[in-house]
Amino acid sequence: MKTLKEVSIITAISVVLAFGVNYFSPNGIALVGQWDISQGVVSAVAKNDVVMDELEISDVSHAKALFDTGHVLFVDARSFEDFNAGHVKGAVSLPVGHFAEQIDGFLELYDLDRPIIAYCSGRTCQDSHHLAQLLMERGYMNISVMIDGFPGWEAEGYPVD
Amino acid sequence: MIKPVQRILQNSWLELAARWILGLTFIYASYNKILFPADFAKIIYGYDLFPNALINLIAIILPFVELVTALALISGVYPRSAVLVVNALLVAFIILLSINLIRGHEFDCGCFAANNSGSTAATEATLIRDFIYLALGLQVFYYRRTRRWRLWQTRGGVEN
Repeated sequence: MKTLKEVSIITAISVVLAFGVNYFSPNGIALVGQWDISQGVVSAVAKNDVVMDELEISDVSHAKALFDTGHVLFVDARSFEDFNAGHVKGAVSLPVGHFAEQIDGFLELYDLDRPIIAYCSGRTCQDSHHLAQLLMERGYMNISVMIDGFPGWEAEGYPVD
Repeated sequence: MIKPVQRILQNSWLELAARWILGLTFIYASYNKILFPADFAKIIYGYDLFPNALINLIAIILPFVELVTALALISGVYPRSAVLVVNALLVAFIILLSINLIRGHEFDCGCFAANNSGSTAATEATLIRDFIYLALGLQVFYYRRTRRWRLWQTRGGVEN
C-alpha cells in the first residue's frame, strides 16, 4: 500500500512537471503528432517545427513535371555520401549539416528567385524541410519540398545521376 | 554459498553506489529528451511499436518520469518506490529492444539521445547495459537494511 502511494506520488509529480514544462518550453510539442506517412512528412508538431505543409509536393510526378521545365533546381539535403551514391539528375548537394559552410558558394551560383525543390530520403526525413527553412531565411522565395525524396523519385524510374 | 551472496546484496555501500549510478544515468538520459522532445518523439516513432496517438504523450511524460525517479534515488526519498519504477522502465526497455532485435527492425535506441547507427551490435550492447542496470535496481529494491545518505532518514527494514 505504501509503495503504491509513493509510486502514485512520483508519477503524479512527473506528469504535472512534464506537461508544465512542455507547455512553457519553446521546444514543446503538440499532444498528438503527425505520424501518418500518408499525410506527409512525419513530425511531432513542435512549436518550432520546420515541417510546413504548404511547401510539400506529395506527388512525385508533379515534381517530375517541374523537372521537365528545366528551370527548377533540385537541392539534395542528404549527406555527401548519400548524394554521391545517387541523386536526382542535375541536383545540387547541400546537406543540412554543412549548410553554414556551403551556403555562400550556393548564393553566388543561384539567384534568389530561382525555383527550388528540396528533397531528402522520404517521409520520415525532415532534412528537406529544414533545408527549405534555412534557404528561405537566406532570401530564397520559391521553394518546395518533394516529400517522397530520392527513393520516391528513383522508384518511378525518373532520371538520376 | 547463501551467506556471502546475502552479504553482498545487503551491503550498504553497494546499495548507495547502485542508487547513485542509476540516478545519474537516468538524469543524463532525461536531459536531451527534455530539451528536444520533438527529436525524442521521432525516435519513439522509429521503434515502430507504438500507436500514433501515444507517441507524443510518451515523449512528453517519459523523460520526466526518468528525471523524478532519478532525483528520488539520489536524494533517498522513497527509494524503494522510485527503484520499482526504474526497474519497470528497464524491463520495458529490455522488452522493446528485444522485440526489435528479434524482428530485425533497424532503429535508433535513443537511450541518451546520442544517435547510434541502429545496428544490431549496438542494440545488443544496449540490452546488456540495461540488464546490468536492472541488476543494480534489484539490489536497491531488495535491500533491507538502513540506507546511507538519505535526505531524510526513516526506519530501516522493509519500510524503506
